[in-house]
Amino acid sequence: MASDEPFLRRLLPIETMSPFFAILALLCWAASAALLVGWLVRRAQRGRPGRLETLRDDVGRMALPLAWLVAVVTTLGSLYYSKVQPFVPCELCWYQRVCVYPFAVILGIAAWRRDSAIRVYAIPVFAVGMVISAYHAWIQAYPPSNGTSFCTADVPCTTRYVWEFEFVSLPFMALSAFVIMTALLLVARPTPRPSALQESS
Amino acid sequence: MSNRPSRQTSSAQRVRTASKGGRSSTLWIWIGLAALIVVVGVVAIAVGRSSSSGSDDGGAASSSGGTVVPNGDLEYGTVTVEGSDLPPAPRGTGSDEGVGETIPTIKGEAFDGSAVTIAPGGGKGQVIMVVAHWCPHCQAEVPRIQSWLDEDGMPDDVTLTTVATANDPTAVNFPAGDWLREEGWSVPTMLDDQEQTAALAVGTSAYPFFVVVDADGKVVERTSGELDRSQWDALLEAARTGQADST
Repeated sequence: MASDEPFLRRLLPIETMSPFFAILALLCWAASAALLVGWLVRRAQRGRPGRLETLRDDVGRMALPLAWLVAVVTTLGSLYYSKVQPFVPCELCWYQRVCVYPFAVILGIAAWRRDSAIRVYAIPVFAVGMVISAYHAWIQAYPPSNGTSFCTADVPCTTRYVWEFEFVSLPFMALSAFVIMTALLLVARPTPRPSALQESS
Repeated sequence: MSNRPSRQTSSAQRVRTASKGGRSSTLWIWIGLAALIVVVGVVAIAVGRSSSSGSDDGGAASSSGGTVVPNGDLEYGTVTVEGSDLPPAPRGTGSDEGVGETIPTIKGEAFDGSAVTIAPGGGKGQVIMVVAHWCPHCQAEVPRIQSWLDEDGMPDDVTLTTVATANDPTAVNFPAGDWLREEGWSVPTMLDDQEQTAALAVGTSAYPFFVVVDADGKVVERTSGELDRSQWDALLEAARTGQADST
């Protein structure tokens, strides 16, 4: 029956895509930890100029495009699992989607405009997404014996559609995305446009 | 006043210089990130290939020697019921009026059209498992039970029969026979008709649904949802002894 499978499902098999997204999720955690450590070290140095300052400037300049990239990959990954693969999103999945889908566009605009003030609007939404995805990841890792009020028999919240490395589930991936996007927005700094520089000179 | 324009110029130059230097270093960071994603992709492809080559073995007949769901592409079966349907099982907690009732005789067919019958009596306890191909709980439970059957088989004095019901051509895993074959399902399976006659005859209220029947054909207990190993063992014990698990 493999030949009857849709083209995209054959092109992007779940055996490849799930490890891919799972490794990206783990890299998100590594990057978030690196940003936290960098922030702590920088605090200890009290902003003295050095290589760390230069790196911080570089990361600050890249943060908005990177956060937008994460939002786009998260959105496409989510659509992959429901449109290419036949996984029906549960109620909790939908709440997480609501928290990330709009930012695939909004963060793109913010990155284009170099508008780091977007963090004021985005981070509260990501915080909500983080809470929901953390809860969802938890009940997939440790399903409650009496079920949850979000689950239905048809579309349960506790079914692990993805379970890579014995702990990476779909909500865990979403949580990873929310965490790194928040961290990136916190370090994002506005950069002047080259055109603006020309004008000022 | 005369110094002001030159101060502005030097300030802008400084920002411009910093921006230029920053741009070249951020370019390298972007290149590094792209390379990292390529490496992740290569690793994922390698992992995917190894896991799919491993899963090829999963479609073979079960090591318990059971009968893998036979070939056949029937989408719906033909089902007749002799006797009274069991009352619908309660959802959640509540007393089950079906307990103690005798199950009806259900005559149907497998995916290849061969006859499958569920009937009371026969001197053995039995478990009837009702599954729907689109139900995620069933998709999770079927391979789990298959692995337990592969490990320990069924007790000699208990039989297990599956009813594949709620067949929906617009949903995943249709027809159910393909799905069960992919899982290497080794349990005799009756394909329900479009009216879900077989599932309704045993009072199905959710999926997967389990009816435990004693050797005389009377219902010992009914339950639904995913089972863990201890619950599965308790179910088999209840079918064997005719006593519902009180824990």
